[in-house]
Amino acid sequence: MNPYLQLSNVTVSFNGFLALNDLNLDVSKGELRCLIGPNGAGKTTALDLICGKVKQSAGSIVFNDTVLDGLEEHRIARAGIGRKFQVPSVFRELTVSDNLRVACAQHPGVFSNLRPGHRQADDEAVERLAELVGLTDQLKRPAAFLSHGQTQWLEIGMLVAQNAALILMDEPTAGMTAQETRKTADLFLRLKGRHTLIVVEHDMGFVKAIGDVISVMHLGQLLAQGSACEIEANPAVRKAYLGRGGITNA
Amino acid sequence: MMQPKSADPMSRYRPSAELIAILAVCALFVVVPALLNNDYLLNKVARYLVLGMLAMSLSLSWGYAGILNLGQAMSFGLGSYAMAMTLKLKTVPVHTGPQGLPDFMVWNNVAQLPWFWWPFESQTFAILAGIAIPAAVAAALGWFMFRGRVTGVYVAIITLAAMVVLNLVIIDQQQYTGGFNGITDLAQLELFGIAFDAYGRSTYYLVTICMAAALLGAYAFTRTKAGLIIQAIRDHESRVRYFGYDVGAYQIVAFALSAAIAGLAGMLYTIVMEFASPTFLGVQLSLSVVVWCAVGGRQSLLGALLGAILVAGVQGALSESATFLETWTLVMGGLFVLIVLFLPKGLAGLVSSLWALIRQRPFRPFRGVHGIGQTEGGA
Repeated sequence: MNPYLQLSNVTVSFNGFLALNDLNLDVSKGELRCLIGPNGAGKTTALDLICGKVKQSAGSIVFNDTVLDGLEEHRIARAGIGRKFQVPSVFRELTVSDNLRVACAQHPGVFSNLRPGHRQADDEAVERLAELVGLTDQLKRPAAFLSHGQTQWLEIGMLVAQNAALILMDEPTAGMTAQETRKTADLFLRLKGRHTLIVVEHDMGFVKAIGDVISVMHLGQLLAQGSACEIEANPAVRKAYLGRGGITNA
Repeated sequence: MMQPKSADPMSRYRPSAELIAILAVCALFVVVPALLNNDYLLNKVARYLVLGMLAMSLSLSWGYAGILNLGQAMSFGLGSYAMAMTLKLKTVPVHTGPQGLPDFMVWNNVAQLPWFWWPFESQTFAILAGIAIPAAVAAALGWFMFRGRVTGVYVAIITLAAMVVLNLVIIDQQQYTGGFNGITDLAQLELFGIAFDAYGRSTYYLVTICMAAALLGAYAFTRTKAGLIIQAIRDHESRVRYFGYDVGAYQIVAFALSAAIAGLAGMLYTIVMEFASPTFLGVQLSLSVVVWCAVGGRQSLLGALLGAILVAGVQGALSESATFLETWTLVMGGLFVLIVLFLPKGLAGLVSSLWALIRQRPFRPFRGVHGIGQTEGGA
């Protein structure tokens, strides 16, 4: 059987700098894959590539038997891929409930969204989502007023609203307290199975709590792959993190 | 527990403050003729209403969709010429005989009616064209801009340039368009057996009804999910794409809708002014619309409409008064600078902050209780 998401020999070049260099990565359906690696390893670029933000100069990406090469971002999103950005990207001038409403993107066509009353149809979903991410009492406030942690939660809630089959998370716990991070881990474990997740994360505690398979990237390539114990024992990984205080402090 | 839950669905069916304000303003303009027994002034109010409609249409594209269209007057001018062409053709039998041509064509030695004038023999066609042509032109222009992901200042430059080109073509093709003079000496519009004299009440009511319909239509659009998505695009364009929305398609629809309303306003302007002129799609008018919108509040349809009426009204009054005859542009410029500096959301923003302040005061203890109830419901 083909893997759910398959990156084969992809290369991304920024003016000659190879952010991804002949990368191969397979993810199977329902998996929660953690992607780690030292700074500049190409983790974020890998996510950018999958969701269409950057284009590869070589190689191919296949998701759920659809070839994503050269598709526009919204087509990739419609194929079932959602993305959370490293810097939380929400609509700051819109209220929290409107943010969630925009994210309920089951009918993305412009003409189907011109019908009156469509907006109200999402109300129930919005209430449920707000409860899930703990923003019920913030629904009517503009997203600009939220704290950094709340903004992270809002964007996570928006991804749940989008209900994408494959969710790409770039450092979802950055700026969160230990307690918030635990809540996030719980949520991700609940999403696992129904959704396929790829999570880029620096916090090894978080990675150990959620990940079954960890992929380590270094210099735009896949360096190692396996369980947390295997990764920590891997000499090549130790070498890549050398001088950075070891993998646990990455 | 129950109260906050039931409070929310209630507010869903209650008309919003914005809708109430819109209806109140429409009602106000309906009763104006009863208070104003002066045909000249009534014509002037109708003129300002049309300009208000034009500013409102820009608010839709600039304030809501984030598309700064500096060539908004192009759509206005297209609508205005569509109406002027059909009204001009109605004068032909009187002016130059049954087989004749519009008078300015005769003066320019044109032998026969050019093909693009033919369909304007039908008034129904002209009215539809006055809305459809601006919308189609905007959609085509939008297709090139938004498919190519042109944004910000480049959109402003392209729209302004497109308008200037059309303006020059109209001035240059004097034998077909009336050139600098525009199309003057028009017949009256007749619709359903009613003649619309520029200085009559029928014209005033026609303008008011169209204004109200356009305002409510634009408001309804902003309340749909598409209306919400264009605001999300204004806020963070690329983010919207990753939810699967085709950003370009939404921008084209908003841009074309805005142009359609501007086209309707242009047709009404021809009726109210009794001529069409290249100045209707001139740079000066187009930039004035931006100023009106900014003063009134570009993120409020009603704010932009009232901003235009207020500024154009004050402009008119100042330019006619003896004291400000020389300095009125300076006064207007100063006013604009002050508002942009201190009221970035325009007068509408000021009103809504004041309104929030008034509402907050007496209900503060009550709101506190409400807030706690909501937290309990959520946890």
